[in-house]
Amino acid sequence: MKHKKRKERIKLLLINCILLVVCFATLVPILYAFSVSLNEQNSLLSSDFSFIPRRLTLENYRKVFVEEPVLLWFKNSLVLAVVTVAISLCTGIPAAYIFSRKRFPGRSGILQMLILLYAFPSLLSMTALYKLLSPMGLINTRAGLIIVYTGTMAVFALWNMKGYFDTIPVEIEEASMIDGASPVQIVTKIVLPLAKPTIAVTAMMVLIYVWNEYIFAINFMTGENTYTLAAGLYSLQASETSGSWPVFAAASLAVSLPILIIFFALQKNMASGLTSGGVKG
Amino acid sequence: MEQSKKKRKNKILSSYLWSMPSLVLICLIVIFPIFYTGYISLTNMNVYHWFDYDLIGFSNYKEALLVFDSGFIPALLLTILWTVVNMVLQLVIAYLLASLLNTKGLKGRNFYRTLLIFPWAMPGYVSILLWKTGMFNSQFGLLNQWLEKLGLAPVKWLASDGLAFACCTVVNLWLALPFMITIIDGALQSVDQSFYESALLDGAGWMERTVYITIPSIRPIIAPSVVITIFTTFKQFDVIYLLTQQAGAKTGAHIHTILTYAYENAFITNNYGYSSAVSMVIFVILILFSYVINIKPKEEA
Repeated sequence: MKHKKRKERIKLLLINCILLVVCFATLVPILYAFSVSLNEQNSLLSSDFSFIPRRLTLENYRKVFVEEPVLLWFKNSLVLAVVTVAISLCTGIPAAYIFSRKRFPGRSGILQMLILLYAFPSLLSMTALYKLLSPMGLINTRAGLIIVYTGTMAVFALWNMKGYFDTIPVEIEEASMIDGASPVQIVTKIVLPLAKPTIAVTAMMVLIYVWNEYIFAINFMTGENTYTLAAGLYSLQASETSGSWPVFAAASLAVSLPILIIFFALQKNMASGLTSGGVKG
Repeated sequence: MEQSKKKRKNKILSSYLWSMPSLVLICLIVIFPIFYTGYISLTNMNVYHWFDYDLIGFSNYKEALLVFDSGFIPALLLTILWTVVNMVLQLVIAYLLASLLNTKGLKGRNFYRTLLIFPWAMPGYVSILLWKTGMFNSQFGLLNQWLEKLGLAPVKWLASDGLAFACCTVVNLWLALPFMITIIDGALQSVDQSFYESALLDGAGWMERTVYITIPSIRPIIAPSVVITIFTTFKQFDVIYLLTQQAGAKTGAHIHTILTYAYENAFITNNYGYSSAVSMVIFVILILFSYVINIKPKEEA
């Protein structure tokens, strides 16, 4: 019996060791970037590198915010994100509710089609979008990008929220209908409060999508002033020959921070708000 | 009778009215461009024929599907290989790690889990760019610094096809494993422990328990997520594009998945007609694929 216990303990120790090593290995790229971003430039190429910066400095972060138009890009991203989220929710919520509650001809056909559209990467129709938007003068404007983003996210928003509405029992609404509540009252007083988790998660997924989208942003926006954060970061990259890796590392981490905060704050809702729609963002 | 018919009509009308804004957006911004892509695919639109293009029938499709050297078929084969390799590694590694996390008596479970899902929380493209410069860069990349310390010659990680494929796989696993670990971990927790107890009484070993109890019980739970991941892996663009073939910064490796192939033909070599044909073929493949695995809307209707 004693022998067995000892064996168990050794096994647990071993598993802890394995997990620690794996966790550390996972975090290496981020730790390295973090350490470089806080390090003074000249100690970068020294051979005795460590994960704890030798000479601490915030110089790289200062450079990011002062010498590069990061704050302007931040503003651009924020405007795009807010408008896209607003349009997605305003159009998505009523549609999702109708598709979840009402039965009407054409409904299941449209739902089938939405799944197929969800499988279609918007990247593939980029040429067509460019060709359609450019005669309207919408290339290199925020409106152009907003159009692309809302279209892409409309499918996701509708499908994801419809999945969640399906899980809300319809009996609650029927009961209040009998109590004499009007349809508008039912939606605003009963359905929307119940659907808060999915609305929050959908809004966040749309926000994160806009925040992280770079390929349309770099192809449709040509001036540095109109860049989003993602496109700006893309342009800041250190290549083999040019650019500053410590500044890029600092910028990367600064850009990621809001997303990290959102992710860990919403982690609990993530499972219920997303999986019910059967869609992964 | 007449009145109920009218009422029904009104109901249908109001349903469409309320969902109209969303559906109109989708029609204009998603569906119409797809049809337009189909139209462009029948023309010779390219950088010289941006306005004065002509309809040329199906010759773009012929070039893509029948001419092996044009590169689409090799890209498709590579994409299939990429998907298989990534999915197998992902499932095996995620299963092993999730099992370790579920060891009886393990104390730091939540701590390890939070660290392991960290890559999921980072914006994907930022992580890929950090890998590119931080790890794989031939001068100041960490991997080469380590090699140097061991007295070995630096390696150009992304310059040759085989090595670049391996590097892309590593980065893709790094990005995708957190989701898979979370899903499998959740599934493992729902397995009825009494099965194991009776199996242990029957003297079943670890292998037998895994094959006969664990895998059959978690399979239906993880299946939808696995299907979605197969799709995202098949459609993977960011990892390969950002690591090896950014405009003006190609690393020398020529690995193409179908998506990077379509993108390169559109926005690097500006062969819009041909690239649109490729896009339409990819769309058809995705439709067929989703019919084969039969993902239906999750509902009774």
